[in-house]
Amino acid sequence: MRAEGSGSVQYKIRAIFLLMCGLALAAACVYAETRKGNYAPAQLGTLSQPGPAELSPDANFQVSAYPAPAVDLVPGDGLQEVQIYCNTCHTPRYITMQPPLPAASWEAEVNKMTKTLGAPIPEESRQRIILYLQAHYTPETRRP
Amino acid sequence: MASGGIAAGRWLVPDLAWAQRSPSEKAVETFTGPRANPHWNSVGPYISEPQKVPLLLLTDRPVQLETPRHYFRTAFTPNEAFYVRWHLEGIPNAVDLKEWRLRIEGDVDKPLAFSLPELMQKFKPVAIAAVNQCSGNSRSYLQPRVPGGQWGNGAMGNALWTGVPLRELLDRAGIKSGSLQVQFQGLETGPGPEGLGSNVFLKSLDLKNPVLDQCLVAYLMNGEPLPMLNGFPVRLVVPGYFATYWTKCLTWVRILSAPDENFWMKTAYRVPDTPRGSTTPDDMKAGKVQTIPIGRFPVRSFLISPDGSSKIPAGMNVMLRGIAFSGFAGIQRVEVSDDNGKNWTAATLGENHGAYSFRTWEAPWTARSPGRYSLAVRATDEKGNTQPDEPVWNPGGYLWNRMERQEIVVGNAS
Repeated sequence: MRAEGSGSVQYKIRAIFLLMCGLALAAACVYAETRKGNYAPAQLGTLSQPGPAELSPDANFQVSAYPAPAVDLVPGDGLQEVQIYCNTCHTPRYITMQPPLPAASWEAEVNKMTKTLGAPIPEESRQRIILYLQAHYTPETRRP
Repeated sequence: MASGGIAAGRWLVPDLAWAQRSPSEKAVETFTGPRANPHWNSVGPYISEPQKVPLLLLTDRPVQLETPRHYFRTAFTPNEAFYVRWHLEGIPNAVDLKEWRLRIEGDVDKPLAFSLPELMQKFKPVAIAAVNQCSGNSRSYLQPRVPGGQWGNGAMGNALWTGVPLRELLDRAGIKSGSLQVQFQGLETGPGPEGLGSNVFLKSLDLKNPVLDQCLVAYLMNGEPLPMLNGFPVRLVVPGYFATYWTKCLTWVRILSAPDENFWMKTAYRVPDTPRGSTTPDDMKAGKVQTIPIGRFPVRSFLISPDGSSKIPAGMNVMLRGIAFSGFAGIQRVEVSDDNGKNWTAATLGENHGAYSFRTWEAPWTARSPGRYSLAVRATDEKGNTQPDEPVWNPGGYLWNRMERQEIVVGNAS
């Protein structure tokens, strides 16, 4: 910065002004949590709002199809059997919703489906389903 | 100035690192365990289902949805936010009221069938405020964890139910002497073999159970038709009892002369015949535990707001708000503590909507200094039942009613 020949008073005023700018900046750093305008990218369209009901001459009261989004299951031996047989009565979200369960609990759950509730699962497939669940959904094996 | 340029840049570029630091924007994990679920609700994503606001998804087929915590700020839970729990995948998408009839059958003198207009017009409507709570509500807090719907605390709701007293329907049909139970069946069905629990959902109550005199066949929920997912056109209301008996889309009421031994009575929804229905995995394995069908729900209370998701400035006087209820009697008192249960302060109870309703409560609270506070809340009902600080465990994950705690973060205000 050059001091021109207009006198030392103006120079001092400029110096004080710059000093105050610096202090203001420092203050802005201290109060950095007072922030504005922070936006992040996001995805739309996963939730929607309903439209109005329609009048019809019949006495039918209906709702639209219940949504069944795809479920992410860990790839591995037995996955195909899980997708075929478990899916008969419920989506595999019944698996992913559970906490990590001990191996014996998974065996008991599958046996409840076949023996108590009558799921027609061939013996070999039943074994493979149990092994699959034990390989990926126990406290030792489940990954976030 | 150069530094001014950096500051301006901050306004233009999303600062993701800062957004991730912000506690209110931190997402919960996708599953919990093997430890207890640390959150008030279950951890599923929000989903839009027919006639519902976005609710927390447990399962999609059959549908199980949990009500988010903030909907419990009021005594009555909105229909569109009311939790949903079905057992079998064949849930009605449509009901043709020209064909639909409520049938009273079995060991009766005169089998009857009522259309919805007949139920609405031939009987004087009766209304009751009653809590509907899933037997497995709060299952995700048990240690060790048990399989089943991993509900947080939101598998409950309170509504004003209006309909026909069940007793009037039974009296018109005439129960034959020597009958034992009344069985309820709704429209839900599953693909399983006939005669098994995977084919049909059936629940029964003893004919000598006095609750039958309080049961309603409800066609109104908070003054509106029931959402399909909550049991349109009518559902059974069993005040004080867990929701497993509140058959949705009720269509068959059947008088039985022999005890109901179907899966949903004999195997499922049973609790140890012990204090609080609690036992241990070892006692279960040893075969020492007698079980009985689940019945009334124990006394509970919740802090609804503040919910711990935002920091509170030190010195600010905030209002603690919540609900309390019991399946045995009305709520007598609710108490709160901010010193881990050493000292308790009585909360002010809200309007009394009846013994089986949610009762709101509030209590002012000020945290003088910054830090983490554990707020505890407990309720006592008019029969003297209260909430112990000991957990509950049984293999079905039922009857949880431990005293509730909520951590509140109080921040520096200067």
